[in-house]
Amino acid sequence: MAKEFETRMIVISPSSPVTPDQVTRLVHSLGLKITVKETCYGAMIEGGKEEVHKALVAIRKLDPDRIFTKVRGFPIGDTRRCRAHHGSRPGFTQLEKEWECLKLVDKGVSAAERGEQVCERPRPGKLPVKRLREIVDEVSK
Amino acid sequence: MKVFIVPPNSLILFDLVERYGHEPLSLMGAIHERIVNPEVESPPMNVTPEDVKKGLKYAGIEVPSGIRGRLAVWGPLIDQADAAVIMDDAPFEFGCVGCHRTDEMVRYYIKKRKIPSIVVRYPTNEEEAKLMVAKIKEFLEGLK
Repeated sequence: MAKEFETRMIVISPSSPVTPDQVTRLVHSLGLKITVKETCYGAMIEGGKEEVHKALVAIRKLDPDRIFTKVRGFPIGDTRRCRAHHGSRPGFTQLEKEWECLKLVDKGVSAAERGEQVCERPRPGKLPVKRLREIVDEVSK
Repeated sequence: MKVFIVPPNSLILFDLVERYGHEPLSLMGAIHERIVNPEVESPPMNVTPEDVKKGLKYAGIEVPSGIRGRLAVWGPLIDQADAAVIMDDAPFEFGCVGCHRTDEMVRYYIKKRKIPSIVVRYPTNEEEAKLMVAKIKEFLEGLK
C-alpha cells in the first residue's frame, strides 16, 4: 500500500438528517479511486490523500456543520482493529463519547458561522459544606 | 500552522482545527505513520523499541513505562507544534483513557515550549458548546 494513503472516519452528528447510507452512496457516485465502508456512525473512506480530500469536500456539503471527520491510524479492515477479525476496539469509548457530544458541538459550529456572540457563564459550584450541614440538620429533625 | 490537540485522539478538536484552516497533530496521524512503516511488528504493538528509547527524552527512566511509551509518541508531536488546543474538565471516557500523569506531563511540555495555547472546557450544554467553538475559532484565526 502506498505511503501517501489516508484513512478517514466520517462521523455524522446525531442531530443531522443525513444517514450513513447517503454518505456512502455519495462517495460511490463521485467515481474516485477510494474505498468506502458504511458504519453505524457514518463511514470510513480510504485512498490517496488528494482523492480522500476531494471526497471530504463533497461529503461536507451534505451538512457542513454536522458532519465531522478525523484521520484513522489503522486502515479499513486491519486485522488488529476490524471487528470481523475479532480485533480490539480501544477507540470505541472515545468515539461514543464524542458522538454524543456532537449534537452540542454542531450548534456551536453553526453559531460560530453566524458570528453569534456568546458570553461566558460560571458553572454552578460544588455544594458548600455549611449548606450540606443545614440540609442534614433539616432532614434529621 | 501545526496545532497539537489534547486529548490527541479527539474527533471534535481534530475537526475544528482542520475546519478553521490548520493542520492538527494527532495520535491517529502518528499511529498511521507507524502502521505504514514496514518495521512495525505483529499486533498489537504500536510502539517500537526505538520509540521507547525516544521516550527517555520526555520521561526519565524512573517514570512508569506506560507514560514513557505514550510520551514517545506524543512528545515529538509537541516538539513540532506551533500551537496547542487543550480540552479540560472532560469526563473520564473522553480522551486516551489510561494515565493522568501523562496528561500532566503533556501540559507541562506545552507550557515549557511556550507555544500559544488555549484551554477550553468540555461542554455540558448548548451554551458551553457555543462558547467552546467560538473560543477555539477565535484562537485559531488569530494564529494566521
